[in-house]
Amino acid sequence: MKLSAAKIILIGCGLGIVYGLLNGFSNAFLLPSAPIISLRPQIALPMIVGIIGHPLAGFITGFTGNIIGDGISGFGFWKFWNWHIANGLMGLIPGLIRYRGITRIATVREFGILQVSIILACGIGVGFAVVMDVLFLHFMIFPSSLHAWILPAFLTDVVNGFVLVPVALVLTGAILITLETRTIMMITALLIIAVLATAGSITWAVLDDLVSHQAMVRNFYIAAIVSVLLLVIGFLASIVFVRKMTDPLTKITRAAESVEKGSYDLETLDGISGRNDELGRLARVFEQMAGKVLEREKKLQKQVEELQIKIDREKQIADVAEIVETEYFRSLKEKARKFRAS
Amino acid sequence: MPKIIAIHSFRGGTGKSNTTANLACLLAQKGQRVGIVDTDIQSPGIHVLFNLDPREISCSLNDFLWGKCEIESAAYDVSKMIEPQTDGKLFLIPSSIRTGDIARVLHYGYDINLLKEGYQKLTERLSLDYLFIDTHPGLNEETLMSIAIADILLIILRPDQQDYQGTAVTVEVSRQLEVPGMFLIVNKVPDVFAHEELAVKVASTYQCEVAGVLPHADEMMTLASSGIFSMQYPDHAVSREMDKIIQRITG
Ligand SMILES: Nc1ncnc2c1ncn2[C@@H]1O[C@H](COP(=O)(O)OP(=O)(O)OP(=O)(O)O)[C@@H](O)[C@H]1O
Ligand SMILES: [Mg+2]
Repeated sequence: MKLSAAKIILIGCGLGIVYGLLNGFSNAFLLPSAPIISLRPQIALPMIVGIIGHPLAGFITGFTGNIIGDGISGFGFWKFWNWHIANGLMGLIPGLIRYRGITRIATVREFGILQVSIILACGIGVGFAVVMDVLFLHFMIFPSSLHAWILPAFLTDVVNGFVLVPVALVLTGAILITLETRTIMMITALLIIAVLATAGSITWAVLDDLVSHQAMVRNFYIAAIVSVLLLVIGFLASIVFVRKMTDPLTKITRAAESVEKGSYDLETLDGISGRNDELGRLARVFEQMAGKVLEREKKLQKQVEELQIKIDREKQIADVAEIVETEYFRSLKEKARKFRAS
Repeated sequence: MPKIIAIHSFRGGTGKSNTTANLACLLAQKGQRVGIVDTDIQSPGIHVLFNLDPREISCSLNDFLWGKCEIESAAYDVSKMIEPQTDGKLFLIPSSIRTGDIARVLHYGYDINLLKEGYQKLTERLSLDYLFIDTHPGLNEETLMSIAIADILLIILRPDQQDYQGTAVTVEVSRQLEVPGMFLIVNKVPDVFAHEELAVKVASTYQCEVAGVLPHADEMMTLASSGIFSMQYPDHAVSREMDKIIQRITG
């Protein structure tokens, strides 16, 4: 979307208010042992604004929304300014994928870049807040802040962004449902369910004791880190697998398109036709078929090229003379003239 | 003055009879009174397209040429072929298909003045707007007569080497006969050919206007020479091109 500066600010602030109200609401339910961090599915909002609207609009949404949320919750409007900027960065960074030429997500590669950008956004955002705190604010006390602020913020934001942003993008049509995106999303969903089910059941099991037992809290977050790590590693692995599966199909499709256009670019099939699976067979059959079509086309083309009208002028003159130089023809010509004159 | 339109081709089987019948029908459909004379005395065939039963033909062009009947009694009203029916009329003057009749004309020949008078009488008595003349391929004496009498000559060729050479001779001979209007029609053109380019090429080769390029139509085969194609397939590319041909040669 191409937006004017005024529109970017308007969208940013407008959705910032929405984000702020949601933050104010969710701040009433803080995460275990975390003084100011809540589970906030709405973190997906600035990300979506950044991706669909504009990176700067995403930044403004995250930034203003966090101010409003903190204000409502009584944390003070400006006290945790580093977290305002962190939220802004989480809206800004995923939106930057447009500068890699991605406006609609249609392939595994694009989907992978999207999800990695979301993880990066959370990492950079939270990392920024921590660094600012260490340098200027000194609210955090290490290592206890790790469990109280840093991990809760990072982990929940990653998971929420990872799950909710693709859902929203599918609904808005920014993710095209193609064979590639469908496959990678299906596998990603299975992965998320598997990882979260494990993490969730652990959480459930220790929930009662969490507040009282510091050690358990630590274990809980370690489990969470492992889960998210598994999620990320699993995701990267599935990207590789899905690409292995869909790449040949994409290439065969491209080869088919080249036949349609008449350019017969069949080299893309070289690597595939050697495979022993169904795709290899498909590629081989396609190559044969395209070869036949090409052959026929060439034959026809040759025929058309041969369509040179060659006339033996000498023979023509001789043949014409044989007719027009007869007595019959001369008298016929006379008569025809008379008819036409009358 | 009614217009006499002769259709000719150097070689046989180019689609003369078919094109004649279709153009005549299309003109009649537009409300014109149109006649068709089958001067292909050696191998008459156009009557088949109009479903005219040879037994119904009591009087033919041959009979007129021998003075056995008036030309208008050899004219059969085939307006029933026009679809949808209009005020237009269509008459066919067939040649005899009896071998004796054919041999006799071929042996004795006929006089161009007689033919010309016949056409004049015919157009007057049936108040025709157009008279089409279907011819025998090649450049024999009788065919040359038809060309000499015509106001407009349509020369049909197929896009193949043998037709190209013969057409060059026909065009030149017709020029010497000072035919007032001469057009080429390329027929049975495969779809793979670029029709526009072909038209340009043919026009420049023969220095003669191309009235139309008719694609090869498989449906023509299924019609199997009975019935008029443009009446049964009015939206077919062939029919539409024929309409354009009419506009070019009459407009
Ligand atoms: N455009 C076309 N597409 C396909 N078939 C065609 C086309 N035009 C004519 N034909 C077919 O070609 C054959 C010859 O046509 P037609 O009898 O009209 O030719 P002709 O020139 O009159 O032949 P002749 O020289 O024997 O009198 C017919 O079977 C006809 O159906
Ligand atoms: Mg014929």
